Amino acid sequence: MGRCSRRVGFAGCPPEEVLGPRRGEELIDLDNLVEGVEHRSESLLPRTTCRIIRRILDNALALDLEEIVIDEGYGKCDAARGLAEMLKGLLDIPIIRTQNDTRVGAGTPICDSGLPLIRKIELILDGLVHPAPPSPCTGRGQGDGVPAPPAALWGVPAADFSIYRLFPDGTQVLGWTRCLENRTPADWELEMWVPEGVPTVFFAQTFCPKNVVAAHLARKHDGLHVDVDGALSQPVRAKIEAFLRFRGAWNG
Amino acid sequence: MALLGDFGTTWTKLHDTATGERRILPTREAAAAGLRADLATGHNAKRWARRFVNELIALAEGGERLIGEPEFLVVDVGSRDVKYVHMRNGELAEMDWTATCGALTGFTLELLGKYYNLDYGATEPSPKSVPVTCGVLGMEQLFELVSEGVPVEEAIARFARGIAMNAHRFIGEPSAFYLSGGMCENRLFMRSFPEGVQVTPLGRFVLVEGLAAELDAG
Repeated sequence: MGRCSRRVGFAGCPPEEVLGPRRGEELIDLDNLVEGVEHRSESLLPRTTCRIIRRILDNALALDLEEIVIDEGYGKCDAARGLAEMLKGLLDIPIIRTQNDTRVGAGTPICDSGLPLIRKIELILDGLVHPAPPSPCTGRGQGDGVPAPPAALWGVPAADFSIYRLFPDGTQVLGWTRCLENRTPADWELEMWVPEGVPTVFFAQTFCPKNVVAAHLARKHDGLHVDVDGALSQPVRAKIEAFLRFRGAWNG
Repeated sequence: MALLGDFGTTWTKLHDTATGERRILPTREAAAAGLRADLATGHNAKRWARRFVNELIALAEGGERLIGEPEFLVVDVGSRDVKYVHMRNGELAEMDWTATCGALTGFTLELLGKYYNLDYGATEPSPKSVPVTCGVLGMEQLFELVSEGVPVEEAIARFARGIAMNAHRFIGEPSAFYLSGGMCENRLFMRSFPEGVQVTPLGRFVLVEGLAAELDAG
């Protein structure tokens, strides 16, 4: 039995004018974990490569794709641009290199909702493949009218989703993940936005350049900076638990 | 009435709240005996406890209970890692936990003491230090010193000073702090911190005290 539609992989947050026409195909977000995929990236990438770039390469090499769309604009890093170059050489399929510089926000209702944090992330990531109807909120996504969240998590989507289970329901999503829901991955101003007075964990993948700004923002906002390489370690888990507990995130 | 346990990497500290009895045994023996605590913390605790409290929370709660000051910094130098909390008026001011840069330092010092049959109570600290990024790398440096003709006691004293300097830097180089864990009983280590720094040992049951506080709080 052959596939009735083409299998198209994408990485990052490509612009809607590129991703939209491909929604009739089998779209796969290469940033996400695909069970059973072989880790071939280990022999191809330096050890100081972040887990998400590794995962994109592992998925791209394993999933028998017919096309790959990569967002390599301002919202991405040199590693993503290098990866696009590498994939061009490794795979005999079209590699569509795009840049998503849109500033027209789609809103951040999921980031600001009272849902469990892990559900929020699942919905935001799934929204790239199955977009929800346009939100009535199309502002800058800077938390207008949001009731006080018990905590906030700043950063990019994590490789290990177990981090999200450490936070109370209603934890606000900040940073690049917020930009992702807003469909403005290159909106630096939104990425830097942190509400005052909310206990905030600043997360980045180990080896990701975003650790520079995560550490800076953690100091500025009296938050906690953590970096994680793949699976969540016991020390990082304990630090997040202790931070949330002693900052009163569970008191509500 | 409950059995509280701090199941560390190499040593387990138990407190029976019914009898008040406290004991310390190798974790391998606790594992072999099939011990099961009501409330536990530590590297191996999740396997042997009905309820788990993470180490940083236990350290903070234990410090609150034992120190009774509005502001304190307590560091736990364990077999495999170093962690600390700095509390101010019941709130967390700072904390960290490293299992990489401080890896296996306590365990290595214990191994070296046994191997060379060294009395740490009688070993003089050294003004020099070995750059100890982790126990394994530090040991490599130590054996290098021994091969160069440095007496074993002096080489180990430099190693101990390296661990102490590392731990002191890790916690932000305060002028005074509290120490938790088995290293409190190592006189060489206790005397290896920079001159003028006030180190107050709290002993090996700080995390267990934290469990007691958790138990009291329900």
